Amino acid sequence: MRIYKKAVTAFITASMAASLAGCAQNSTFGGGTASGSSDTVAIAVLYPETGQYAEYGKMFKQGLDLGAEQVNSDGGVQGKKIELKYYDTQSDPKQSASVAPKIASDSSVVAVVGDYSSGASMAASPTFQQAGLVHYGFNNSAADFTSTGDHVWTPQYSQDDFQSQVADMVAEHAKKISVVYIENDWGKAAYAAFKKEALAEGLDIVYESSFLADSTDLSPILIPARDADPDAIVHVGYGPDGALVINTLRDKLGYTGPFYGGQITNEFISTAGENGEGTMLMAPFTADSTNPNAQQFVKDFRAKYNSEPGEFNETAYAAVIDLAYGMNKTSATREGVQEALETVEDFPCYVGTNTTFSFNQETRRMKNTNFLKLKLENGKFQIMK
Amino acid sequence: MIDTLITGFMHGNAYAIVALGMSLIFGVSNVANFAHASIFGIGMMSGWWLGSVLGLPIVPTLILVMAITGLLGLLLNVLVVSPLTGRPTVAALLATIGVGMILDNVSQMIFDTPTRTFPELLPSHNIELLGVRFGTSDIVMLILTVIIMVGMWFFLKHGKMGQAIRATSQDTEAARQMGIPVKRIQNMSFVIASSLAGVAGVFVGMFNSNVSPNTGSSVGMTAFIAATIGGLGSMPGAVVGGFALGIVESVGVFIFGDGAHDLITYGALLIILIICPNGLFGGKQVLHEPMAGSFSGGARPYRVPKWLAPILIVAAVAASFLSSDYFSSVGIQIMIYAMAAMGLTLVSGSAGQVALGQAGPIALGAYTSAILVGQFHVPFLLGVVCGGLVAAIISGIITFPIWKLSGHYIAIGTIGVGAVTVALIRIAEPITKGSLGITGIPFPKIFGFTLFTPQFQYVMVLAFLLIELMIITRIRNSHLGKTIESIGNDPVAAESIGVRASAYKALAYAIAAFFAGIAGALMAHQYTYIDPSMFPFSMSSLVLTIAVLGGLSSPMGAIIGSIVLVGAPELLRFMSSGRIIVYGLLLILIIIFRPQGLFAKKE
Repeated sequence: MRIYKKAVTAFITASMAASLAGCAQNSTFGGGTASGSSDTVAIAVLYPETGQYAEYGKMFKQGLDLGAEQVNSDGGVQGKKIELKYYDTQSDPKQSASVAPKIASDSSVVAVVGDYSSGASMAASPTFQQAGLVHYGFNNSAADFTSTGDHVWTPQYSQDDFQSQVADMVAEHAKKISVVYIENDWGKAAYAAFKKEALAEGLDIVYESSFLADSTDLSPILIPARDADPDAIVHVGYGPDGALVINTLRDKLGYTGPFYGGQITNEFISTAGENGEGTMLMAPFTADSTNPNAQQFVKDFRAKYNSEPGEFNETAYAAVIDLAYGMNKTSATREGVQEALETVEDFPCYVGTNTTFSFNQETRRMKNTNFLKLKLENGKFQIMK
Repeated sequence: MIDTLITGFMHGNAYAIVALGMSLIFGVSNVANFAHASIFGIGMMSGWWLGSVLGLPIVPTLILVMAITGLLGLLLNVLVVSPLTGRPTVAALLATIGVGMILDNVSQMIFDTPTRTFPELLPSHNIELLGVRFGTSDIVMLILTVIIMVGMWFFLKHGKMGQAIRATSQDTEAARQMGIPVKRIQNMSFVIASSLAGVAGVFVGMFNSNVSPNTGSSVGMTAFIAATIGGLGSMPGAVVGGFALGIVESVGVFIFGDGAHDLITYGALLIILIICPNGLFGGKQVLHEPMAGSFSGGARPYRVPKWLAPILIVAAVAASFLSSDYFSSVGIQIMIYAMAAMGLTLVSGSAGQVALGQAGPIALGAYTSAILVGQFHVPFLLGVVCGGLVAAIISGIITFPIWKLSGHYIAIGTIGVGAVTVALIRIAEPITKGSLGITGIPFPKIFGFTLFTPQFQYVMVLAFLLIELMIITRIRNSHLGKTIESIGNDPVAAESIGVRASAYKALAYAIAAFFAGIAGALMAHQYTYIDPSMFPFSMSSLVLTIAVLGGLSSPMGAIIGSIVLVGAPELLRFMSSGRIIVYGLLLILIIIFRPQGLFAKKE
């Protein structure tokens, strides 16, 4: 009985503590506009600091920190400093859904960025939508990401747009191709867009298969991909699996033909090593980009971290810059962010060769853009002539 | 085709060498050691570090890796497994899951997260055969597997120490009375098995070439299945199971594509278990159920006094309105997981069967309700109940053959069921949209009123939870509940008085699956988005852990367990990256010091 009493006491104390903590905060949604008493505004970040996607979380944090630092040294937004409030969700929907109301009821937060995966992001979106808080999913290219409501945005270009340009690039050099793509929401949608354009271009897809992200041996699908005797093998996926694909093809299966795929990350380049040489891909960003905005970012990133920035650093960095730029044109409030995304026509663009971009108000995504054709040479992705 | 067989064989060899260690530990300590995969992962990463950062050649690398993983194995046994001796094996099983969690996170902190190339300590692509290249390292691994297996077999069969190990595994108490130093024997088997895992890590690292601190768990899980297919505790079985699984996987994937990978792996497990209930080489299991009578026999749940119950309910409702939205939102997660776990007090508590595949019925419930309400505009409450029914029916059917198995095979079989369910959802693309997931699932709507705010959703979920609590408590106290409990306490006695044990186990499971399905449906309407990757094995292990931690004899305990396990990561949020390690530690400590669960007392 004694322990039972203890347990009950503990439970009651805990719930009281929780309610007290709650009372201190704003207890309903929508009370979110910055009260003006503070000289900082916050951007909340949902991201995987731990767990299996921690590598991405780390790249995000580098970009976000750099962005906030720069905005603040340039005078902040409407005279206020930007503060980043990080929430580790492990990219797990259960955790992002749990912290979402905490963020929504924190009146200093004017916008939310993240999470890594669509599952975790979209489990939190409804709460932000309800609270009139912009959810800016800078990594969420999933087709339906913005479908939750008018406060859900992503600066990610649409995969239809991007993949059709990838297909065009492949069609320039090949007629028969084998394709492998990652089995998740992103991979499925990306491959569907790729396939549509590839078929329209008259490409012959002689073999196709998806693969699970945690498979460690891809030979069983790469052997038939090789044996179909294609002009090129195309991979639609991320860095680690792209490296696994090319390493398996070159080392184990003796494939010597052209390879399209992989990802612009140091992780891909170093893991693929020699095998990666000659890899071609289409990318929104590279450290050698000719886009002047991107060049400035690369310079600043190198100065701060003493390493080469990748695409994930860039998108995270740009997310903070976009939001700050928007707020400076409107106001540093939740409404201000939403209004900015609806009205501002010249957000600084780091992607492709355009220097500004605006949002398609229907899809709440970046409007049409162009991309860079890259080839991995001497351990670096270089722009193809 | 022959090249596919060759790569399957090579990959199978990697599984075999990990499976050997798992089987050894199982044979000696009767522990299904889920931390083995993590130790293997640490072996792989320390091998990478020694070989590439320090640039050591293969022999010193192997020796140092064996030392590191062997030491970890020793610590695992001394600090965690050994204190749980004499307790139901499910306790050790769950504790090793906690250890795995800690090891994986520590590994990530030490070795950092990116994927990288494993150093080529031995040439790995210098031989070509029928269109596939492999290398000296693969040949050495193959020879090593055979040597380890044969050596181990001889040692166990003829060596003095080996005989002591076998005696210990057969009857620990008798062995102790014969003067065998049981503790030392068990320590030794953990050291041997773990250092083997380290060796395996080095060779698998060379085989896969791409490694990261996360690689361990996926190879480890498959190796576990390989060991089970071969027959837990059997050395030749582990090897045959490893090779067989490697080949079946590669041929299956060659034909059906890698999208069907999980279906092939776990489907093979289920089929083998249905045909040979003890695996290919497993001896007949002792009749005594290792899980049976587990926690309920030794514990009685605390009773909530009649006058207190309404006060608690009112307090729970009031808390959500008095406090922040964050409180309500965390509360919803806690209650949903409590609902999914509560049914397990019937399956695991009363019937004594460990179910490690609850993500399956949760996913079925989520998808059913999401599709019915979202696409066919069925009323929300009806959709949720249908979610429960579909989960109960489909899980009941897939699980049915499992109940003929015994002991650990049931636990591992249910892992298969959970994985196969999610794999089927992934493949049933026309209905479920597969990996794309379902978006725009409507918020809960009751009598035309949409529950937008966390407070209202909280109250609704609380209502569901209380109804379940009432129903489960009623069932446990009814004639049916006593029958189910008799099976858990003494299956032989129950059978001999004419109770059809497997039918009642299936019924208990169907009830649990029904409520797990409802929990899944509520989850879907709260997230408004679901996809198959949201229902991984870790969800299943979390649900079982909640039930065990709360006290398997007490439905109320599931709520307490969920407050601790789902709430703790939130409460620990201030400590950032150390959070998951502390969480794992907490789990292990509670299992060691509160064996009967939090909401129950020892008899």
